[in-house]
Amino acid sequence: MSGEKNTNTAPVRDLTVKQGFNLGKFLVSWEMVLVYILILINVVLMVSRPNLYFAGGTIQSIIQSGMDVCPLVLGMILILMLGDIDVSVAANMIFASMATGLCCQAGVPVILSVLIGILAGAICGAFNGFCVAYIGMPAVIVTIATSMLFRGIVKIVLDVNVLKVFPSFYTSVAWLNIAGIPLALILFLIMGAIFIFILQKSKFGRELYIIGNNATCAEYSGIDVKKTKLTVFIIMGAMCGVASIFFVGRMGGSVSSTMGTGYEMTAIAICVLGGVSTNGGKGKVYGPIIATLIMAFLTYTLGLLGVDANTRKIVTGFILIIAVLIPNVNKQLLDSLKLKFVYKGNKNVEALNVKTAKEVKALKETIAETRKDGSLSESDKNAKIKKCEDKIASLQRECKKQTEVWLSEQRDDQKKAKERFAAK
Amino acid sequence: MSEYILELKDVVKTFGGVTALDGVHFQLKKGEIHALMGENGAGKSTFIKVITGVHQPDSGMMLLEGEKITLRSTEDSAKLGIAAIYQHVTAFPDLSVTENIFMGQEIKNKVGLYNWKLMTKKAKELIEPLSKNIDVSKPMSTLSVAQQQLVEIAKALSRDARILIMDEPTASLSRKECEELYRITERLRDEGVSIIFITHKFEDMYRLATRVTVFRDSKYIGCWDVDKISNQKLIAAMVGRELTQMYPPKNAKIGETILKVKNISKEGYFKNVSFDVRKGEILALTGLVGAGRTEVCQNIFGIMTPDTGSIEFEGKDVKIKSPIDALKLGIGLLPEDRQTQGLINELPIYQNVSSANMNKFIKAGKLDVSGEEKSAIELCQKIQLKAKDISAPPSSLSGGNQQKVVFAKLLNCDLKVLILDEPTKGIDVGAKYSIYEIMNELTANGYAIIMVSSEMPEVLGMADRIVVMRNGRVAGQFESDGTTQEMILEASLKHDDTSEDGRAS
Amino acid sequence: MGANKNKSMISRITESRNFGLILGLIVLLIIAAIITPSMYSVNSIINMLQNNAVYGLLAIGEMMVILTGGIDISIGATLSLSGVVCCRLMAENPDVPSIVWILLALVIGIICGAFNGLIVGYFKMVPMIATLGTMYAFRGFSFLFSGGEWWFPHQFTEGYQAFATKKIIGLPSILWILILVFILAIIFLGYTRRGRRIYAIGTNKESSQVAGIKEARVTFLAMTICGMMAGLAGMLYTANYATCSYSIGDSYEMTAIAICILGGVSITGGKGKVDGVIIGFLMMAVITYFISLLPGLSVWSDAIQGAIIIAAVALNIFTERSAAKRALKERSALI
Repeated sequence: MSGEKNTNTAPVRDLTVKQGFNLGKFLVSWEMVLVYILILINVVLMVSRPNLYFAGGTIQSIIQSGMDVCPLVLGMILILMLGDIDVSVAANMIFASMATGLCCQAGVPVILSVLIGILAGAICGAFNGFCVAYIGMPAVIVTIATSMLFRGIVKIVLDVNVLKVFPSFYTSVAWLNIAGIPLALILFLIMGAIFIFILQKSKFGRELYIIGNNATCAEYSGIDVKKTKLTVFIIMGAMCGVASIFFVGRMGGSVSSTMGTGYEMTAIAICVLGGVSTNGGKGKVYGPIIATLIMAFLTYTLGLLGVDANTRKIVTGFILIIAVLIPNVNKQLLDSLKLKFVYKGNKNVEALNVKTAKEVKALKETIAETRKDGSLSESDKNAKIKKCEDKIASLQRECKKQTEVWLSEQRDDQKKAKERFAAK
Repeated sequence: MSEYILELKDVVKTFGGVTALDGVHFQLKKGEIHALMGENGAGKSTFIKVITGVHQPDSGMMLLEGEKITLRSTEDSAKLGIAAIYQHVTAFPDLSVTENIFMGQEIKNKVGLYNWKLMTKKAKELIEPLSKNIDVSKPMSTLSVAQQQLVEIAKALSRDARILIMDEPTASLSRKECEELYRITERLRDEGVSIIFITHKFEDMYRLATRVTVFRDSKYIGCWDVDKISNQKLIAAMVGRELTQMYPPKNAKIGETILKVKNISKEGYFKNVSFDVRKGEILALTGLVGAGRTEVCQNIFGIMTPDTGSIEFEGKDVKIKSPIDALKLGIGLLPEDRQTQGLINELPIYQNVSSANMNKFIKAGKLDVSGEEKSAIELCQKIQLKAKDISAPPSSLSGGNQQKVVFAKLLNCDLKVLILDEPTKGIDVGAKYSIYEIMNELTANGYAIIMVSSEMPEVLGMADRIVVMRNGRVAGQFESDGTTQEMILEASLKHDDTSEDGRAS
Repeated sequence: MGANKNKSMISRITESRNFGLILGLIVLLIIAAIITPSMYSVNSIINMLQNNAVYGLLAIGEMMVILTGGIDISIGATLSLSGVVCCRLMAENPDVPSIVWILLALVIGIICGAFNGLIVGYFKMVPMIATLGTMYAFRGFSFLFSGGEWWFPHQFTEGYQAFATKKIIGLPSILWILILVFILAIIFLGYTRRGRRIYAIGTNKESSQVAGIKEARVTFLAMTICGMMAGLAGMLYTANYATCSYSIGDSYEMTAIAICILGGVSITGGKGKVDGVIIGFLMMAVITYFISLLPGLSVWSDAIQGAIIIAAVALNIFTERSAAKRALKERSALI
């Protein structure tokens, strides 16, 4: 073997931190696309109903209408980050509302009843988390079941009654504007900032990314996967408790057992639209924050256009599907279609073409770098570029030739194979 | 008409730069049992996959009865009467034995429904001569490995296979079960089936084969008549690399014992394993794949916890319940499968490096990213990682450099003992050498290293001491000076008759 | 030898999940009978089964999807859509022969299911997310088509209702349809290549690839059948109760999933039989009926169902774990 005397004297390349701000990349990032969509909806609204749009309070009320789901969105980001799902959040939110409502009814101090509501949510979340992390049950099934369980308990306790005693600040959270800015939006942005810190700046957040991408590796890296999962579900539960404040306020300070159905779907749809992958490990907090606003404007605009609440559900449903489908369709489907039609199902041809394309790209990069390189003289530069270009041409030529050879071979083989198997 | 039923000429197969088969020849006579031998990673598995049409060779020729054939899929090979029984049984565990046998060629009645009665009857007829106590209506998962293998054989027979490939069928069988299998294999040969028998065990070869082909390092080494080649010559052919100059010189001083494993057992994996490792020492844990080496490491690292026995670290008995405990003590594991256990391919290199010890970088409750990057760059330069950019994902690197990222991740923790599970698996020669250099540097700095390896030259070239495991037990311990590959091979292969008595059922 | 065989028979019975379920069913029946003796008339039992038959249909469909390792939570919405479309058209065109409506229901179900199958099977969407989306979409379509209206018994033609309520040899026709579906499911899942492939991809996806089974196609088929059952169930539901609105079938998917899990269908796919699902269906029927009989207990039904699902899944997991442990012990004898 020739490599036996290899002493590996290859020069050590300097490692760099490549974090240069790339404007082009930034402008086409998913989050920016969301911003464009938001602007687009606003423009449509502005142009079609200028009177309404510029009337005082319209924009505020649009934003307010979308805020009741925002705590659920933030919590759901963490859950999806793990690659899990929680469809019990709406039921949990109602459960927490009930806890607060009952306390208020019984005359418990306001602060304490609010805290009890959040705690009730957290306990429900802990139950979900325990089943998922420590018993090992699939999150889908657990939360489907607990969704029935939590709402079922509310039904048992409230039957058909409506709780009407709630802290008075609940309605202000939902309806008040401070200096023209909805209080709910301010609270949302504060919570959003906290979640940005948790997910993108803290150790806990990094652990979530690691677990979501590769749970086995997380375990080998000394991360307590079970505990982290449990914690995330508890946070989600507590956020359901917080959501109950926004929600009850929005409902004008009353709660019954049948309210709030479908909120889990909206929360998940917003997260997915915001670029959080349902497979875990991908996404940022910014995306869903913008997506929450998009959803609010979209719902309102549809309402204006005479589309009723139920039709909006269709739209939400399809937004969810499309938002998930875009990356899927992009990669897998295009690849498989290309393999089937362009490369005639021949994996070798596909591999060769992909490899060639990669090499050509690398060479083109080299050319670009050479152009920028100041240390070379003009003639050197041209010579180098020429060399690269020649290589690209030859690579492409070879690739084409080989592809043809393989494809013709394949045709021959297929013909032969057909004959052989037909004879048998 | 050719003398050979199957012939392969100059077959080359590469996977993204790694050569798995390098100009391999093979000739199978009609009605013979042909042994195929070689170390782990010699290219045997790829070879089978080429014959069965799972992989298509890059170049070379395949002749069936003298006629050139091209296999596009397993279906093609099945139609031509080629069947394989893989090392890891590829069955449907929840489906019944009958269904597994007839998968893809079910018998239907006139209205197009499955004729379970007939299938069960036929399955019984196929299984009966092979084994009397397999209930064909039971799910596959309830059978022992040996029984599952017999089912796979029955499946191959039901397809009228002319060429049968058996990939290490005796690897996890007891002696009695082996005898049973020998008998069946011979019977198949007598019925005219040509058999390629891949094995590690000389016993299998002597008992069954008339000829033997040896692969080494993805290359064809030779083909001999079994009765004309001596044991020594065969071992030499299998391992036959020169050991000199492949390994960097060592300059570590061996200190006191740091980790002591005392009689640990884990149900279903290993029993009564004891060894110790000293500071500055490289202890090799070797033996055949499936001997329980990886599981022992996982028990030390806390992925699993041993049922009985104890682990002593720096003179004190310790309980290691999870990798967190292990890392706290200063024990790190470089896992066998770096793709699923060692790397997070979606996150940048520096985050991979810091992942096992993030506490180090917490500043005011926040992760100090620039600190992470700085220390990652330092570590990566120390181990000569070849990468353009520290915030690129590891998936953009070659196998050897990926392994270096995992190394850097371990070095980022304050460790004293490193367990390296197959550190050079799937890595090219140059990168291997630099990983050896890293290991030597570490031991020179007082690290103790436990290295799991299947490659004999690597074990002999790198280790100070060698523990050989066989079938879940320690089969022998050697000082590396004066130990030969033959001695290790013998220890990892020989049948331990005393342990066979207790388990007749 | 004889003793040995006996023992294996007994152990086989005790190990079988169905045996435990039947035992549970009997206990439940006894308790129910003690508390509400009225339960024991033939009529009330038939009534109980008739009112739960829709769940049986949904469970059979859901079972196919769960066997592949997926899940479909859009079936309640599919049920609603098919119910609304059939009802509206029936009310507007009372002269059209009723057989048309049942065929239409099947077609609507197939379209809904096929859409699910397309995005899950071919576009590789996570089944949960995909069907969550379609659930809202289908329900929304249902509302659109209903225009928010309700349909009441006087609008239902006799022929339409007959599909659910007409008694044939003492049993209402909806039960005959259910029995027919059970039989067809047993044949399909047990005796046809397509049915067995559903088990195959659920039990081991890698082996399936080696064996040349097309996963996407099988998933598509399973989800289409599931949708078809939901479509059928929608028409029969409206025929049975002679009322309809877009809100029917809300959270019925949960009950269907509960029945499957109770019946021993493994949530990870590949395991579960139609007879288990039938027993699960009977059990659920008894439970819901029992709850509806006791005054004041009806509000408990959701909570109880949720608790049952959790308990059943936990039970499944623990039995699987102990089986794995047993296997390890056996292996340990080899060392």
